[in-house]
This record gives sequence, structure tokens and C-alpha cells, in this order.
Amino acid sequence: MNIQKPHLIFSVVLAALLSFSVAEAQLSETDQACLGCHQMDQSIKFGSGETLSIKVNANDIEKSVHRIIGCSTCHGFTADNHPQRSYKSKKEFSSLSARKCMQCHDTKKNKIHEKLIRESATTTTCTDCHGSHNVRRVRELAKGNQYCLTCHSKELEVHYKDGHRERAMVDEAALNKSVHKNLSCVDCHVMVSPEDHPVRQFQNKRDFSMVMAENCRRCHFDKYSRTLEGIHFKLLTQGNAKAPICSDCHGTHAIASARKDKLANAQRCEQCHKDIYAIYAKSVHGAALINENIEDVPICSDCHKAHDNAGPHTANFRISVPQICAGCHAKKEIMQKYGLSTKVVDTYLQDFHGVTMKFYKQFGQTDKQIAVCIDCHGVHNIVRVKNQSAAVVKQHLLKRCQKCHTDATANFPDSWVSHYEPNIKKAPMVYLVDLGYKIFIPFMIIGLLLQIVLHLWRYAVNR
Amino acid sequence: MYTANREYIKRFGPGRIIEHWLNAGVFVLLVITGLAQKFHGYDISQWIILLFGGIDTTRVVHRYSGIALGILTFQHILVASFGILFSRWQPSMIIHLKDFRDAVDNIRYYLGLSEHPARCDRYDYKQKFEYWGVVIGGMLMVATGLALWFPTVVTRLLPGQLIPVAKALHTNEALLAFLVIVTWHIYNAIFSPEVLPLDTVIFTGKISRERMVHEHPLEYERITGIKLPPHHEGHAAAEEAGTPSS
Repeated sequence: MNIQKPHLIFSVVLAALLSFSVAEAQLSETDQACLGCHQMDQSIKFGSGETLSIKVNANDIEKSVHRIIGCSTCHGFTADNHPQRSYKSKKEFSSLSARKCMQCHDTKKNKIHEKLIRESATTTTCTDCHGSHNVRRVRELAKGNQYCLTCHSKELEVHYKDGHRERAMVDEAALNKSVHKNLSCVDCHVMVSPEDHPVRQFQNKRDFSMVMAENCRRCHFDKYSRTLEGIHFKLLTQGNAKAPICSDCHGTHAIASARKDKLANAQRCEQCHKDIYAIYAKSVHGAALINENIEDVPICSDCHKAHDNAGPHTANFRISVPQICAGCHAKKEIMQKYGLSTKVVDTYLQDFHGVTMKFYKQFGQTDKQIAVCIDCHGVHNIVRVKNQSAAVVKQHLLKRCQKCHTDATANFPDSWVSHYEPNIKKAPMVYLVDLGYKIFIPFMIIGLLLQIVLHLWRYAVNR
Repeated sequence: MYTANREYIKRFGPGRIIEHWLNAGVFVLLVITGLAQKFHGYDISQWIILLFGGIDTTRVVHRYSGIALGILTFQHILVASFGILFSRWQPSMIIHLKDFRDAVDNIRYYLGLSEHPARCDRYDYKQKFEYWGVVIGGMLMVATGLALWFPTVVTRLLPGQLIPVAKALHTNEALLAFLVIVTWHIYNAIFSPEVLPLDTVIFTGKISRERMVHEHPLEYERITGIKLPPHHEGHAAAEEAGTPSS
């Protein structure tokens, strides 16, 4: 909608420039006199030791909007009056030179200019963005993101009310690597545009980040609406500003796909959940990710979910645990890589605990407690059961059993045939009883049915 | 006390009639609440469990029905033992060699290899088979059920592997009992053309003379003293000659 206007202005300016350059390509005699010396390769030295070339490219001046005002308007020198001056540094030189701009240009019209000059006139100068001899409107110098980067690639600072200062510089390389590289700055920074850059004051950086994160939902509404169910959003609404917002996990200018790098993703959570991450890092899952870079293992968000993370202390979360674990442990294509059985989920679901859990879930009795995967295997500290001696496993298991079966004794853990279908080796007695009945029941029932048929037949014959 | 001109003969007293009612009721409850757990994946099971108010209440009903079955079985054994030992009851439920011969004879008769069915006494071999199935199966179910109810108590002294074994026994034996009852018992008590629409003896306590003569000829002869026409070839009729019941 606003695209047409700058275009129009730009074309008019361009047309005017072209017509001028045809008609009056020549500079005034006075200016020619200046260039007489300043077209030679010379430089001046500042007190700081910096040097600056004082060679002026005539071509730059001829193309600039300032070609008609003459060198002396800005520099104050004439061919007759050219006093020797010395400056401490390049920056001092350019900031003092920039004061001349204000003779003609009303800096108060543009609020961001006014603020820059007021707060950091010595560090940020007009020429930083607009150029000197080739002075242009920034809009003519750059388009799109480059327009913003004209200033924001420079050493700028933003000041917050709490006194904190921060660089407002944007790393262009990081921006171009991000998933948002094809977006414009103004797609996220909705309050500003090439026409208008209001000065906004935020109490602190967190306030600014929170306001900015509101803009993510303009595109990612699905994710946003899921966060409404999440514990982090709940904490935010309760006034906890430390609770994470979009940019805390996804980053800002260097925003990257969260799925690409699982370890980096998990480490985002570590920022706040250090203790848990340390436990996770030692678990079979965490160690595989961190030490072996195996990405099949779950990271925080695989179990807890990213956006609609309702928190693990809800009854609904507990009861959904078997389903979460089944997400990987029932998948052959993942499990066979590591020689793990996919029967673990079914054997659980067919057992006392699993059946009970299923009915609690089905009838919405989520307030009731029954053992799910994590009660025996642990949560963040899940370890490998294979390679460990049966006695150690049993000893650990007993402690876990005792959480619910408080009167359980040493023999008790054996009453769980573990995640095996009973077979002659693992649970011979169970296997033989099952086998016996598998043969005996059909034998018995078929026999009785045959007798019934015979009886009926005899009865029919007798009549 | 038998009198010759009656059409019906008394077979069961109120004790046995009530016992059957109770056993049947408890059995139905146990089967409904138990099989719904065994076959928990089916819609009907889920409907039943919901009807009972969830898995926990279903289990509570199942367990207390199990206790009722235990009490019924226990008192039956006690009453029968005392009756036999002190009241001179006839141990008519004891399985004899003759019962196996009767089974073979009956099948020969069904197949047309023999002219007449087996001649049975107070309880025929089918009834004895069912009776012992209920008594022994009941004890097995009660024992394994208690082990599943109190696994921590059992494993205090016994190995832990017994719990899954108890579960295997309990669940398989339950299925067997259920299938035997729905095929064999329901056929014999309802659908058999000889009793259709219902064998009322266990409810009324009396049996018709006609059925008595037909199904329990040896007992009929013994208590009436009437010698039935000798249509029984093969084995000796007087094998089980006992004293008439008073």
C-alpha cells in the first residue's frame, strides 16, 4: 500500500537529477578551484594517529543533491580563506562537520534523528548514513532491508529507561543465514517503516522483547494459540517476566529452525532448567545426544512439547506418558537401530498397570495414580537396563515398586515378568501354564460340543 | 420320604437350592467383571466396566464376589464332610470306575453301537464332572485370586514368579470354566431336548418320576424298591446297591 509513494518520489527525484546533470554538469568556478587541489592524492592526520584521504571525487559531487550549494557552504573554506585546523580524531572531525548539516536540515522533524543527535552526537553523525560528498537521501542509497541496515549496521545503541544500553546493530551475515532471510525488517518490526521511525521508550530490554514477541503470531498463529495452553504462558500472565517468550527459545535476527539442531534446541531449555538438563545429560538419552550426536533420542520438547507444554505436574501429563514413550519405543525403524524391543509398550498395556492406566485415561479418571513408564524407569535420569546385572536392576526396581507397594519385599520385583512375552526361557512356569491351557481348553470344549451334537443326533434318531 | 403314587420325587432340600442360586449369582458376577478385565480391549468390556463405575469398582466387585465364592465353596466342603462323617449322608458325588464306563457306554449308545444308554445312580457322570469342576476350579480361582489381590503378602515368603503364574492360572481357568458352563451346563440345563425349556429340578427340588426312571434308574430302584424292566445290557445293575435315603 505504501510502496507506490516512495517510488513516485524516487522517480521524480531521479528525473530531476538527470535533467540537472544534463543541463548543469559543470561545477561552479569556486568549486573547481577547491578541486584543483583536492583531486590530488593527499591525506590529513588526526591527533589519534588516524589518517583521512582528502581527495574528493568530482563525480560524487556532480551526482549529489548538494552539487549546487558549493563546497564552502558546508566546509566554510574558500580558496582565499583556508585556515589550518587540527582534530583529535576522525570521529571528532566528522561530528563537527555534521553540525553544518543542521544549518539547513531541521533535525527535529525526524524523531529518531533528534534522539540520535541529542544522545550520541559524537558517536553517530549524519555522514555515517548519508555519506559526505555523495550525500543522498538514505532511501535513494538503499532499498528494503538494506535501508534499515544503513543505520543498523553501524555502532548504534538503544537506551532503556532503567539505564541499560544495548547495541542496536544487526549482524547482516546472521540475518542472511536465518530462516527469515526473505522477510523484511518491517515484517517483524511493525511499528517502523522507511517513512516513520517513532522513538519508543521501554523500561528495560525484557519489556521490549516481550512487545516484539507479540509480532510472531502475525504469521505463526497456530504456535501462538498453542502457547496459550502452555505453562510458560501461564507464568507470563501471572507476572513472571522471566518465563520464556518466542525469542528466548528461537532467537531473534539469527532465528533458525528449531528442528534442525536438536542439541541446540535442548540447550535452549538449559538456559533456565539447568539442574534438569544436567541430569538429562547423564541419562541414556542425553548422553547419546551430547556425546554421540545421535538425534533419534528425545530432547526436552519431544516429551514436554514445545508450545503447548502444560507442565509435567498435571494428571493429564502423567497419564499420557506411555503414549509419549511409545512415540519412539513402539517404532521398529528407530528401535532396531539400537537393538531394542518394540514390545515394551504392548507388554505394559496388557499388564495390570497398563490396563488400569488405559481405563483411567478412557474414563477421564486422570486424578488416579497408577504406575506408568517413568515410575519404574525414571524420568530425566533414565538409564540403560541391558548390560546391567540382574541383581542391581532388581534392587533398584524394588525401591521403585515400594513407592506404591510400600510393603513389598525382596522377592516382589520378580512378580513382574518384565517386558517379555512369557517364553520357555524367561518365564517358564507362566509359559507352560499358558501352553497347557491353550491345548486343554479347545480339547475340552470341542469334546463337550461333540457330545452335545451326538446327544442331539441320538435324540433325533430315537424319535 | 417316597410314596409310590406321587408323580414327583423329592431330590433337593432348600439348602442345596439356595446354594445353587448363590453360586449361580456369584459366578455370573465374577464372569462379567472378570472377563471384562481379561478382554479389556472389546467395546462390550469397556461398556461393562463403565457400567460398574470404572476399573477400580469393577475390581472391587470382582474381589468381593470372589470372597463370596470362597465362602460358598468352603462351607459346601465343610457341610458335605460333616454330613458324610456324622449324618450318614451318602457320598454320592465320589467318582467311581463305573462313571468312566458309563461315559464310554453313553457315547457308544449315541453312536448307535449300543441299544441302551448307561444306567446311572443319583448323579450321572456328567453331573459329577461338573460338580468337581466347580469345587476344584473354585478353590483354584480363590487361591490364585487372593495371590493376585495380595501379591506383596505372597512374595514375602514365596518366589515372585508365582504371581504371574497365578495370573496365568486364574485367567485361563476362568475362561475354561466360563466356556464349560455356557456350552455344557447351559445345554444340559436348558437346551437339551430332554429338559427344554428348563431343567427345574434345582429350583423346585423335585424331579418327575418319568425323568427319574429315565435318568437315575439305579437310584429309583433303590429308593422305591421297584425293579425296573431289564433294558440294561452290559454291566451289572446291582453294583451300587446302598441303603435307601431317609
